[in-house]
Amino acid sequence: MKELKINAQEKSPREINRAVKQAAKENDRIVIENPNAMHYLLAGLTEPVDVVIDGSAGYFAATMIHGARVHINGNAGWFPGDNMTKGEVIIDGSAGDGVGQGIYGGTVVVHKDVGSRTGEIMKNGTIIVGGNSGFMSGLFMMGGRIIVLGDISDDAGESIIRGTIYVGGEIKSLGKNAKIEELEEEERSELKELLENYDFPLEESKYQKFRKIVPRSARPFYGQESEEG
Amino acid sequence: MCGIAGVVFKDKKLHPVGKFMTRMLNALQHRGPDSAGFALYGGLGLEEHEYLLNIEVKEKPGLLEEVKTKVETAFPIESEEIIPSVENYIIYRCKVNLDSFSQLKPLIMDVDKIDNVMVLNGAHSFEMIKDVGLVKDIAARYNTEDKMGTHAIGHTRFSTESIVDRYHAHPFQSYIIPDITVVHNGQITNYWKIRDPLERKGHIFETNNDTECIVHYIADKLAQDYSLEEALEQSVKDMDGPFSYIVGTPNGVGIAKDQLGLRPGVMAENDEVFAVASEEVALREVMDTSDIDQISPGESRAYTI
Repeated sequence: MKELKINAQEKSPREINRAVKQAAKENDRIVIENPNAMHYLLAGLTEPVDVVIDGSAGYFAATMIHGARVHINGNAGWFPGDNMTKGEVIIDGSAGDGVGQGIYGGTVVVHKDVGSRTGEIMKNGTIIVGGNSGFMSGLFMMGGRIIVLGDISDDAGESIIRGTIYVGGEIKSLGKNAKIEELEEEERSELKELLENYDFPLEESKYQKFRKIVPRSARPFYGQESEEG
Repeated sequence: MCGIAGVVFKDKKLHPVGKFMTRMLNALQHRGPDSAGFALYGGLGLEEHEYLLNIEVKEKPGLLEEVKTKVETAFPIESEEIIPSVENYIIYRCKVNLDSFSQLKPLIMDVDKIDNVMVLNGAHSFEMIKDVGLVKDIAARYNTEDKMGTHAIGHTRFSTESIVDRYHAHPFQSYIIPDITVVHNGQITNYWKIRDPLERKGHIFETNNDTECIVHYIADKLAQDYSLEEALEQSVKDMDGPFSYIVGTPNGVGIAKDQLGLRPGVMAENDEVFAVASEEVALREVMDTSDIDQISPGESRAYTI
């Protein structure tokens, strides 16, 4: 395995991202040292490389990546994984608002709590939150799945159109067009496989507590259900 | 956009709070390049009834003397200092001895009547430093790194609605009660609904800036014996728009965030320090940030010493 270390100290996000894109062509793994909660790290990275951000990242970490596997050892700010299409973003700490905003594919994992509007307008892919998720999680969600191991705050699934939000803890309140359903046994098995894969060892009883938030209607604001493609 | 920050040292002892706040604001510089400001509490060491005035004076023959005469006619000047600033202005800083706090605002309004002169603030228990430009330049100009204190709030400004000048730099201060300041990131969209009742009560607005509206609102609530926590909680219910703001008082710091959570706010706390800011990058300058909390929509937090 070929690895390169990039020291982010005294560098701008643009300089770091250019260096990462160049290095990704010749290395299997890139470590960004001293990130100091900098914004926009790894924006637009399209090479399928392993990247470790050795500390906290700021806003829009790994936005629009396509295929990279990103591991952030610290926390992340707003919008980690924003609009990514493929790959993986794993955050060991907590994260701010809009985790996985608008993702088309791939997986975003946050081990601790996250802020508000998790997975807003996401089209596909998977978001896993090890702690609690804030206000309006799944806002205008259009596909994919969000899995929250802890509690989910007010207006969960606000205006959700498609997709599923799995919640292991309390659901404070539902948003418009959202309803709660029980899980099928097959879904529990899928969750177990997925969560174990990302180092969330849950007791069997915990899986029994999961409920899911799904849309009441695919056309909640105008049009007919029959028009839904 | 704007960056906001606050820090409290829980032991009530003097710490290099100016150095820490300078670092916090420098880390938030990308959120606003127009101006920056500090309210550094607890380190001034003034005697009872002593107040420090910061007066912006244009470099013009005879103008500074006119200001000094105006102040001295009302109250004796105990000490003074001149700090060079930019754009042909100086900051004239003088210490005066008043009979009571109620004389402060009338004195400020009287000095403000002089053309090309503006009193940036008058305070007893905190030092206000605010100016146009970048944090590092302002910090060097005012030696912020040498300032001691117990707690502080600060701001980097990205101007949206109102003018870029020293007076509109944050913190804003109210004189409804002594030594209350606010730094703010966002907009108060029901501004007139908040301002009107305050003006009907006789509170004086100097600008059309919504941050001034917040500081008068909080000061008015504290004057009615609300606790800082209660005032912050009520403000979140009464104010509309995207905002997060930090309040500084002589004995604490608080933060509040709008009900939709449209502006950022994070906090971290340990046995020694309570810190709040727009972003983690500022908290990292004062403490370990392995565990930080996101301030939730509609939430407020405060720490008083």
